[in-house]
Amino acid sequence: MRKAVSVIVRGRVQGVGFRPYVYQLSKQLGLSGTVQNNMDGVHIVWEGENAAIEKAIARLSTEKPRLARIDYISSKSVAVNQRTGFRIIESDRDGKSALVIPVDAAVCDDCLDEMRDPHNPRYRYPFINCTQCGPRYTIIEGLPYDRPFTSMKQFQMCSRCRNEYTNPMNRRHHAQPTACASCGPELSLLSMNGQTTAKGEEALILAVQALEAGKIVAVKGIGGYHLACDASNLQSVERLRARKQRPSKPLAIMAPLEHVRRIAVLSREEEALLTSPAAPIVLLNKSAAFSEYLPELIAPGMQTIGAMLPYLPLHHLLFDDGAYSYLVMTSANPSGLPMLYKDQQAVDYLSGIADLVLTHNREIVNPIDDSVVRVSSHAPLFLRRARGYVPDPIQSLENVDGIVALGGQLKNTFSLGRNHQIFVGPHLGDLSDVRSLDHYEKTLSHLLKWMGVTFQTIALDTHPLYSYREITGKWPLPMVQVQHHHAHMVSCMAENGLSEPCLGIILDGTGYGTDGAIWGFEVLYGNAGQCRRLGHLRYTPLPGGDRAVREPWRNAAAMLVALLGDSGEKLAEQLFPEKREALPIIFRMAEKQINSPLAGTCGRLFDAISAILGLCRVSTYDGEAAVRLSEAMDPCGKPVAAYPYEIRKKEKLEEADFSVMLKQIAEDRLSGLPSELLIRRFHETLVSALARMADLAAAQYPKSKRRIVLSGGSINNPYLSSRLYDRLVDHGFTVYTHHLLPSGDGGLSLGQIIIAAQWIKS
Amino acid sequence: MDRKVTLAHGDGGELAHKLIQQIFVSAFGNQSESRFDATFLSLSSGKIAVTTDSFVVNPLFFPGGDIGKIAVSGTINDLSVAGAVPYCLTVGFIIEEGFPLADLRKVVKSLAVEAEKAGVQVVAGDTKVVEKGGADGLYINTTGIGLQREESTIDPSRIASGDAVLISGPIGDHGIAILAARGELGLMTDLESDCAPLNHMIDAVILGGVDVKMMRDPTRGGVATTLVELAEDFDAIIELEEEKLPIRDQVRGASDLLGFDPLYLANEGKVLFIVSESDRQKTLELLHQFPEGRDAAVIGRVTGKGVGQLLLETPLGSKRRLHRLSGMMLPRIC
Ligand SMILES: [Fe+3]
Ligand SMILES: [Mg+2]
Ligand SMILES: [Zn+2]
Ligand SMILES: [Zn+2]
Repeated sequence: MRKAVSVIVRGRVQGVGFRPYVYQLSKQLGLSGTVQNNMDGVHIVWEGENAAIEKAIARLSTEKPRLARIDYISSKSVAVNQRTGFRIIESDRDGKSALVIPVDAAVCDDCLDEMRDPHNPRYRYPFINCTQCGPRYTIIEGLPYDRPFTSMKQFQMCSRCRNEYTNPMNRRHHAQPTACASCGPELSLLSMNGQTTAKGEEALILAVQALEAGKIVAVKGIGGYHLACDASNLQSVERLRARKQRPSKPLAIMAPLEHVRRIAVLSREEEALLTSPAAPIVLLNKSAAFSEYLPELIAPGMQTIGAMLPYLPLHHLLFDDGAYSYLVMTSANPSGLPMLYKDQQAVDYLSGIADLVLTHNREIVNPIDDSVVRVSSHAPLFLRRARGYVPDPIQSLENVDGIVALGGQLKNTFSLGRNHQIFVGPHLGDLSDVRSLDHYEKTLSHLLKWMGVTFQTIALDTHPLYSYREITGKWPLPMVQVQHHHAHMVSCMAENGLSEPCLGIILDGTGYGTDGAIWGFEVLYGNAGQCRRLGHLRYTPLPGGDRAVREPWRNAAAMLVALLGDSGEKLAEQLFPEKREALPIIFRMAEKQINSPLAGTCGRLFDAISAILGLCRVSTYDGEAAVRLSEAMDPCGKPVAAYPYEIRKKEKLEEADFSVMLKQIAEDRLSGLPSELLIRRFHETLVSALARMADLAAAQYPKSKRRIVLSGGSINNPYLSSRLYDRLVDHGFTVYTHHLLPSGDGGLSLGQIIIAAQWIKS
Repeated sequence: MDRKVTLAHGDGGELAHKLIQQIFVSAFGNQSESRFDATFLSLSSGKIAVTTDSFVVNPLFFPGGDIGKIAVSGTINDLSVAGAVPYCLTVGFIIEEGFPLADLRKVVKSLAVEAEKAGVQVVAGDTKVVEKGGADGLYINTTGIGLQREESTIDPSRIASGDAVLISGPIGDHGIAILAARGELGLMTDLESDCAPLNHMIDAVILGGVDVKMMRDPTRGGVATTLVELAEDFDAIIELEEEKLPIRDQVRGASDLLGFDPLYLANEGKVLFIVSESDRQKTLELLHQFPEGRDAAVIGRVTGKGVGQLLLETPLGSKRRLHRLSGMMLPRIC
């Protein structure tokens, strides 16, 4: 029976070759009609035999292209209209928006094969791409995604490219960034005074030679610039560290898969992530043979190495041609500042750091960092969600239309809501710098405009000193202030589709508490609508505020004296003999609470232990003390007993007190016991105390049905989170963790937006 | 005479008369006027500047000064930065019962010495004694009267992009000296408070022909708070360079240890100038001739007009916005 239907497909269906795919599918099934992108997604009209239409709908989701993701399909009958043939019609820019911005994707195998084929017209062309790969988010100026609204608009397609682009049977049909050497972007090599010294193939050859000679080359990629150097060349790495003033923060490397396999132990999940179109940096365990290939200086003191595969055609060319197997590929950014994405900025900032800049004339419209992921025992854990993932929306149970959530201060991401979709913006880092804040504002308004969202409500953290408070005055809108750890909890709940009240353990660095203290070791009960604090870590002073965060020895000394009194003073003097003169002052600051806010946070507890064990007394990068602590441990070590600890009821809250543990760790350290053992006992103690606090909380709130979410920055510690997870499961809990967004502040805005939606509703 | 101040010293009777004669009048040396209830001043025509300030310092005596010295320099400096020539002062004392007379004499002496140095007369005074516990030792109020100088160019509306921001010397000395003098932190330092009247130095700058657009004394809240207010009041964007801030090693060391930012520490003998770029060098040279201005430095620039803000650029190239002293040292690093 002849029939006609109108089908709407939503999800990641634009800019991923969906229309050519529908075209080919329709031809195969003998259906006539049209396919069109509009602000609502993809709109298909099919006319033909009923059975063929049903088959087409079924096959839509099973045979979709590599980059496509279907969230929703609806179809309704329309009048049969004697349609003949199947056509792709021009995008319709009107209509309601449920439109998705496509994400950037690593070069696909088909394109790579072409690039390496001497007979192919795109042989060695560094900007080859197709509907299944290439730049997307980073080149978009407006929606819907179409070449005239991208930074490719300045390149006039040659007739061959145009033919491919317009041919529905070609894999470059409507590949917006498609190009070739005769019509597309080209490479150029800049000296550090900004002069172009070579172009095209010659630029590439010279850059490869410079890398081989140990030089540092800034390479413009898809979302910004990397600093590249031969990772196996110790002098180059030393030079890079010295010039970048980055003494010990681990450097990410890039290498072809077969070389990554030599330096790291790869699980199937890890390999799948590395080779996925998102091509993130994956934190991998170093292999035993690591030091045969790479110097320790790449990731000093670490058991893990951050690695990614070449993901641009250009990267592949660098490896195809070069005599090196591993390149350091670290973000060329000044730390704490917005991404560099224009040549002039790069040359200005990088003179004195890089020796050359390998750049190109495809403009980056929206800069974005590499994503960083770690595979934990139960799920991939995002440390940074950026390239390849942003701005894919997250589906929301709540209607979040018109809400903007501003996120945190560091590792910032914002979120904006449209109907039931939440767009979590790119990782924007530290907002303290005025230029970061400016970039933040721009990125936010960009996305708002694209999404067609007029924002009506702002959700933000209660911290009075977060930098975005400087700009909220510009938006005279209702503001919903959200407590930091409540946001963490609801973020994890939202990812897991939970809306009924449950329990939460939030282990975090610093968040502003409702009592004015710094929180970050919280047992909570509630949901988006309400939240109760049930337990926390006993407070200790942080002498010097942020300074104590950067110098964990201060915090350790203050914790020792606050929890152990005179004997704590003595221990601190023995542990930090080099601070003999400063210690008495730190003790008095702590005692008298001069410039010393009170804090009970997991992050600061980790810092203190790290300082006591001599692993990190002064941190050179954000989170170093905690990272060093977890990296110094053998995750396969034998089980150990917990240190003694106390959990007591104080002012209706369960308070965890680790005074005895602190004393014993300090004494064990001074008596020369191996740190590794102490660290494992420390973790065991936390896990054990938290499981007990969870039991108490579950008994108090049976309605939680022993469902518990884990969130907060300290959950990034893989050992802590997997031990805690397992222990809670043993205790009969159903445990939920993050898998779409970071546990840390990169996931904060999701919680904020859901809480604001709830606030609006009630 | 008793060795401590009693309530009777303040009752207007014989004891009070003695106190005034022996301590105040002898120190300020202008008995002639004391027969009237008010003092008559003969001023030349023109505008008169008046300022008043109350001084509460703990401890009352500290390295580099005492409450008496601050009470003079604070008021003299307020007049001077407003573009006035200080002329005379009035002084009010609120004394706690039991306060040692010897200390009172010391304070009054130092007040007189500073007034003399600044070239101003103390023309009226008052004392009150309050019951024990009603005050913390001694409070002083001073009111200063000055004459607006004809050659004053001060006019913040002329602040423009490119103007230089100068400070007359190292910052934070007073804040750290006071903190150390309190003794509660065990902070050891030989640092002295910078408290001093600056009218002569400011005179020299103005009479030296510098076109000063604005002056401020960065007392409580420090250089940062003062400049934030200035920036906001006059719609200027001011950028400071951290490297250029003159800071003594002792101040830097103590601030590091305590987690304070020297930009927020109090100064009692410093002045900030905003001058046009072409006057920058001349201003520095004039300041350098004075011991209080020996370390004067250019610390930043006005980089624009618009929504007023103060920015700080660090040697590593980060640039952050500074706000008023908030009293909150809450960490934000998560
Ligand atoms: Fe957090
Ligand atoms: Mg004053
Ligand atoms: Zn491709
Ligand atoms: Zn072409």
